[in-house]
Amino acid sequence: MTRFSVLDRLQPVFDEVLLDPVTVSSELSAKDVPEWDSLTNISLMLAVEKHFGVRFNVGEVEATKNLGDLADLILRKLSK
Amino acid sequence: MSNEIVPDIGREPKQLLLERDSRFYECLSDQTRVANTFQELAALSTLRKRAAKLGFARASGTNPLRLAIIGGYSLYPLHDLIQHCLETADRTGEGQRVELLVGDYDNYISEIIQETSRLYEFGPDAIFVIPSGRHCEYSGRLFDSRSAQEAQARDIASNLLELCRIAHIRTNAEIILANYPLPSERDPGAYRTRTAGSTWTFRKIVNLELGLSAPSFIRMCDVEFLSARFGSLNAYDARAWFESKQPYSADFLVQVAKEVAHIVAGMRQGTKKVVAVDLDNTLWGGVVGDDGVDGIEIGDTSPRGEAFKAFQLYLKSLTERGILLAVCSKNDKAKAIEPFEKHPDMVLRLTDIVAFKANWEPKSDNLRRIAEELNLGMDSIVFVDDNPAEVEIVRQFAPDVCTVLLGPDPSDYIRLLQEGRYFEPVTLTSEDFDRVKQYQQESDREKLLTSSTDMAAYLRSLQMRAVVSEFQGIDVPRIAQLINKSNQFNLTTRRRTEAEVRAVMEDTSYLGFTVRLSDRFGDYGLIAVIICRVDGTTLEIETWLMSCRVLERQVEEEVINEIRRLAATRDCKVIRGRYVPTPKNGIVRGLYPRMGFTEVSTDNGQIVFELRDLVRPLAESAIRVERRAYDQVFSA
Repeated sequence: MTRFSVLDRLQPVFDEVLLDPVTVSSELSAKDVPEWDSLTNISLMLAVEKHFGVRFNVGEVEATKNLGDLADLILRKLSK
Repeated sequence: MSNEIVPDIGREPKQLLLERDSRFYECLSDQTRVANTFQELAALSTLRKRAAKLGFARASGTNPLRLAIIGGYSLYPLHDLIQHCLETADRTGEGQRVELLVGDYDNYISEIIQETSRLYEFGPDAIFVIPSGRHCEYSGRLFDSRSAQEAQARDIASNLLELCRIAHIRTNAEIILANYPLPSERDPGAYRTRTAGSTWTFRKIVNLELGLSAPSFIRMCDVEFLSARFGSLNAYDARAWFESKQPYSADFLVQVAKEVAHIVAGMRQGTKKVVAVDLDNTLWGGVVGDDGVDGIEIGDTSPRGEAFKAFQLYLKSLTERGILLAVCSKNDKAKAIEPFEKHPDMVLRLTDIVAFKANWEPKSDNLRRIAEELNLGMDSIVFVDDNPAEVEIVRQFAPDVCTVLLGPDPSDYIRLLQEGRYFEPVTLTSEDFDRVKQYQQESDREKLLTSSTDMAAYLRSLQMRAVVSEFQGIDVPRIAQLINKSNQFNLTTRRRTEAEVRAVMEDTSYLGFTVRLSDRFGDYGLIAVIICRVDGTTLEIETWLMSCRVLERQVEEEVINEIRRLAATRDCKVIRGRYVPTPKNGIVRGLYPRMGFTEVSTDNGQIVFELRDLVRPLAESAIRVERRAYDQVFSA
């Protein structure tokens, strides 16, 4: 799996959790999306964990700057 | 299941919102009630906020609830879930608007102590406090003396209660206080139970102190119970604590948010007062009308019988804390009563039931009658039945009544009834509880009766007072209602419209009066209606009806006294009464003879009675009559 295919698989997660349509890209981050607040972030990350069957360690998500970083993190988890 | 990103739960309201369908808020409310995970509730909350943003808000109540949430944690996103649960609690009608103040992370102590804090500026109606768990661990060593450990636990509890007291005094707000969840960590093993220094035992002591010492303005949010029920391992999430200082795991936030919404709803509405139960397959197994009193399942001879008995014991325990028990059953009344009187294994007896409706009329009507008799609103009744069709009828035709549908398994009944959380007392001193007490007057009267063997002494002890009045305009709706609804104590069952009642008031050949009765336990209201027509020297009683609640109280005697007095003012020599038999008014068949009337003729099944001896003394009664009909008219 590549960073691109991970981003591709993130799209339906964002479609389900967010109400406004958002196009997933490696540069996208919470500050670009008005409804991506703390509540939504918890929902999004729980959904991502469930969708990919991974569990993030403490602090890992916070260290990501955008969805590209998040995709890389997911890739690292999946390759283990 | 596992591939679902967001469970089905948000889909329907999302669709309704897209279509701007007015059922959106009902659907949102229903789904909120069943939502159990953080993702479900968060999705619904997002929809709610989105609807408001789109201008698709529903009419919201006039009085917003001002809720402050403070504590030793980050209160985001708990505040959002609480707001969502509160604002969607009401399915229909106006929503409850909520204005929130969310305290800063772990700043609750200074927010309470500092008189100039945001908390006091905000002016809350209610304050939810989640004290820091780190403040609730023993600071010494596991092997310190028990008394030192317990003393520290008590100190923590009393300091916390003192903080709540300060906040309450300064705001007059109700305080909702979260107690402490017990830890799920293994260390120090079972030794945790042998020392008050372990966090496990230490928090138990603190929670006990909090619960047993909290004054009535504090509502306990029993997180210890909630987390035990939910599973302590799943109630806490260490990662969520380290990352964003969350008090609980995401899914357990949902449980706490729902509990807070439940507590707040209880502060505003009060608890239910009446549980109205069906009989067949609800209180016992089988159908008493078919199986007979010996054929029903109740008692310890079978597992099913035991389960029904346990349900009756639970209902009995509700009556012991002030909940009124009513029967609402499609049954022949004589047969329905039999198990209560004759079956040795019944827990409930007729004395436990304040209103007994067993007939073939719709249950929604019977519930309305129960509410009238008890002088309570329909919204204080919880109706319990095993038959989905009956529950549906009540839902449709008596929508204010809460319903509980029992399943096919009587061992589930207690849980199903408790699930609605209708009868949870708040405090023993609260106004709600006093109000319940006031409706127990009827059973108090019965107790007084059983305690005094002498009927005359009993009646005197009631200290009854009656107000007799000619028809008054303001009473016309109630008079017409009684005229058109009373079936049992009704001598002629002659119906009249409101307009016809008004016509009686205008016509001087008619004399109409009402009787109101009260006693030392309370007021019965308007309980008797009499309409007489003067025809020469004869006064004919066209209508005489009374509420069955005042039978055997000598009201009949006072009614005849009043009629005789009125007859004298019109120079009548004969008082004539009539009994028109119906299937329902058998109880008044012998009334006129008992009042000294003589039967003079039978006419088409009607029996005509007359009283000619109008000089004998008036009947004695234990009722003090404080006013008489046409007083002003005749004294003028």
